[in-house]
Amino acid sequence: MTRRYETVYIFDSALDEPAITEKLTRFHALLTKDGKGTITNVSHWGKRTMTFKIKKKDTGYYVVAQFDATGDVLPEYERAVKLDEGVIRYMTVQAAREQPKPVEVAAVIAAPEEEEIVEEEEA
Amino acid sequence: MRRPAKTCPVCESGARVLDYKDDRTLGRFLTERGKILPSRLSGMCARHQRQLATAIKRARQLALIPYIKGHTA
Repeated sequence: MTRRYETVYIFDSALDEPAITEKLTRFHALLTKDGKGTITNVSHWGKRTMTFKIKKKDTGYYVVAQFDATGDVLPEYERAVKLDEGVIRYMTVQAAREQPKPVEVAAVIAAPEEEEIVEEEEA
Repeated sequence: MRRPAKTCPVCESGARVLDYKDDRTLGRFLTERGKILPSRLSGMCARHQRQLATAIKRARQLALIPYIKGHTA
């Protein structure tokens, strides 16, 4: 059964763009072989600071790829991605059925940390 | 006395799904230390609160939002 998946890759930001594109084509070839899957969208977020260090690196090059594929091609693909030294981290999930749009949410009242509220007992 | 029911901020915005890649929105539902805001405070409906929890956990894995805010190793 074909499902819609989505992978976020974090590449080493030391890699240049052609190298990243080359890796992506190689990974995506694993998904599209035998006509078992189609890549629907690839978007490059570019270099971005990560909120914490991963593999001693502060920045990563983010790429999001959406694709339709049958589940049986995923293990081989994920293995290839995992083994690649240029990929700092990746995550494949089933994509949301509806395209999520940016949510404009009014600021939520900043809540104090619960543990920090100390109930003072009257003696 | 019952307080008037809070309305879900996500439903109000007209969105049905929360996106784990949207770190700016998710950031609004974190405490100052980076914990997930409970629905009691966020005012979210149950469905969106569940989505929020999953989305935040995914975003953390991708280093889009921190596990602990203000923590430097």
